[in-house]
Amino acid sequence: MKSLIIGEVSNGTLSSGTLEIITKAQENNLDFKLVVIGTENNPKIGSDTFEVIYVHLSPDELSLSSAADTLVDAIKTDSIELVLASSTYVGRDISGFLSVDLNSSPVANVINFEINGSTLTTTNSIDGGESEYFTNVTSDVKILIIRPKSFEASDVTLSENYTTSSVEKNDLTVNVFDVFIEEKTGPQLEDSKIVISAGRGMVDVGNLKYIEELAGKLNAAIGGTRAIVDAGWMPYSQQVGQTGKTVKPDVYIACGISGATQHQVGMKDSKYIIAINKDEEAPIFQIADLGIVGDTLNIIPKLIENL
Amino acid sequence: MKIAVCAKQIPDPAISVTYTDGKIVRPDEQVLDDTDRYGIEVALQLKEKYDAEVTVISMGKLGTQKGIQQALQMGADKALVIEDPALENSNSLMTSNILSGMAKLAQADVVIFGTESSDGYSGVVPQQVSRYLGLPCISYVKGIDISEETELTRQTIAGSEKVIMPNKCVISVTASGVEPRYPNFKDIMAAKSKEVEIVELSSLEFTAEQNQEFVEIKSISSNKSGEKHIDEGDSFNLIIERLKEIKAI
Ligand SMILES: Cc1cc2nc3c(=O)[nH]c(=O)nc-3n(C[C@H](O)[C@H](O)[C@H](O)COP(=O)(O)OP(=O)(O)OC[C@H]3O[C@@H](n4cnc5c(N)ncnc54)[C@H](O)[C@@H]3O)c2cc1C
Ligand SMILES: Nc1ncnc2c1ncn2[C@@H]1O[C@H](COP(=O)(O)O)[C@@H](O)[C@H]1O
Repeated sequence: MKSLIIGEVSNGTLSSGTLEIITKAQENNLDFKLVVIGTENNPKIGSDTFEVIYVHLSPDELSLSSAADTLVDAIKTDSIELVLASSTYVGRDISGFLSVDLNSSPVANVINFEINGSTLTTTNSIDGGESEYFTNVTSDVKILIIRPKSFEASDVTLSENYTTSSVEKNDLTVNVFDVFIEEKTGPQLEDSKIVISAGRGMVDVGNLKYIEELAGKLNAAIGGTRAIVDAGWMPYSQQVGQTGKTVKPDVYIACGISGATQHQVGMKDSKYIIAINKDEEAPIFQIADLGIVGDTLNIIPKLIENL
Repeated sequence: MKIAVCAKQIPDPAISVTYTDGKIVRPDEQVLDDTDRYGIEVALQLKEKYDAEVTVISMGKLGTQKGIQQALQMGADKALVIEDPALENSNSLMTSNILSGMAKLAQADVVIFGTESSDGYSGVVPQQVSRYLGLPCISYVKGIDISEETELTRQTIAGSEKVIMPNKCVISVTASGVEPRYPNFKDIMAAKSKEVEIVELSSLEFTAEQNQEFVEIKSISSNKSGEKHIDEGDSFNLIIERLKEIKAI
């Protein structure tokens, strides 16, 4: 199936989501081309084994809709049948724009897909990961938006071998007058081996100091539920779940988290899950390898002391 | 200024979703999707500043219209709704095609959305509508500052960025940044007499098609036989033991 992967740049190289899609594309011997969208200068995103095109956007304007125009042309010219994007801000925006021009509704939140001849079957995770939902996509061009961590990241060697193109401003371009880059320190959620997450059961924002101390001792990244992100205890970039990040660490420690399905989708595939919650019936215990029924504010300080 | 704000009725989130033939079973009584309250709040703040008219737009099984009433109770002026057998189990493109048509009926300058619905969560409907309408798309708005001009703060992967709201545009709002208002008794009573207009499918230009064929739902037995202990003051030891066993420390 002639395919186009919509890639993204992160810290001068391909984003993990892009590398994950490349793994799947190579496993399936897809005949693909990679179009990377980003604002960074001279990222290392090229390859000697497949074609890479860099659509370089200005950070000072919202111009994804003109990038979409360019992509639509490329998809038509090359008779692309399959478009693969990541479930990210950019991936969703671009797929949404493309889908109208191509009159093909994207399948979102895809965790796997299979190709049999001309039939493409997608898998979605529903019920907080307790069921899988399968559909066949019947449009000529098929657009899939893939959830992060659905596949292992590819270890493909990247080079400087790519062509760069820019896009022209159009009527829909909006100027950006202020850009704020959030400082990132310590282990990052996406690639840390241990993740410690806090929920409303930490009771007060001040108690997050325990989570920080514990994370320091275990060299872990810190996450949180939407409830505490909405409450302003943590920035959105640390939210784990359906509308936040998907993580798959070796150990996930859920502190005072009820385990709503929307949270579970973002963490249930962690290798070993430890949950601390004072409610014996909390849904998080259904997916925990080790469940402790008790008060986070008693248990965590002792844990820190004894590590 | 005219504002259309999209709001979806969904099954009560407290009750788990059931499916027949791959379709979500929708009871007669559906409620306003919580994520749409954020979009409605932004619409109402703009209404106050620009003296705008706010129309709620909704597609799907109407039933008791509880969710529509909830949107009107917050302070929207009227609603345009549509239900048609041909729209059952719509994909995102069919949904956005219809919502675009309804935004045109409402003569909207600004069309506002949640970021993703709680039951569909494709998260692409706002982008699609912007494309259908040929309007700039300001997605993932997490803050609004209405002073001289209206500034919108967008969530980005690296942090955030700010833009001035164009006179005509599509906006999607994330679930933070604004605090959705709760209606008081007067608002609740006032909503009852607000106009809810039912739109006929034949009055809209509808070109999107279904492109997904349901195959099956498989449950994956996730019954983890994990261990559960009641804390008696020493469970920190157990945690440390297990972390050592799995060589995490
Ligand atoms: C469309 C949509 C998208 C969403 N996306 C996300 C998402 O991406 N991520 C996400 O996390 N949520 C998401 N949610 C919200 C989700 O449904 C839950 O509301 C949220 O995860 C709950 O967070 P919580 O566990 O911190 O809070 P609660 O559900 O309030 O749970 C707090 C828990 O702490 C326990 N507790 C209280 N005190 C203590 C104590 N002292 N010691 C131990 N335990 C204690 C309680 O027993 C309770 O189980 C989404 C919802 C919707 C509708
Ligand atoms: N049937 C619908 N009626 C009204 N608004 C909708 C409908 N479906 C989606 N929306 C809007 O589009 C946003 C994104 O939805 P979705 O693409 O389903 O995640 C939601 O937050 C709503 O604002």
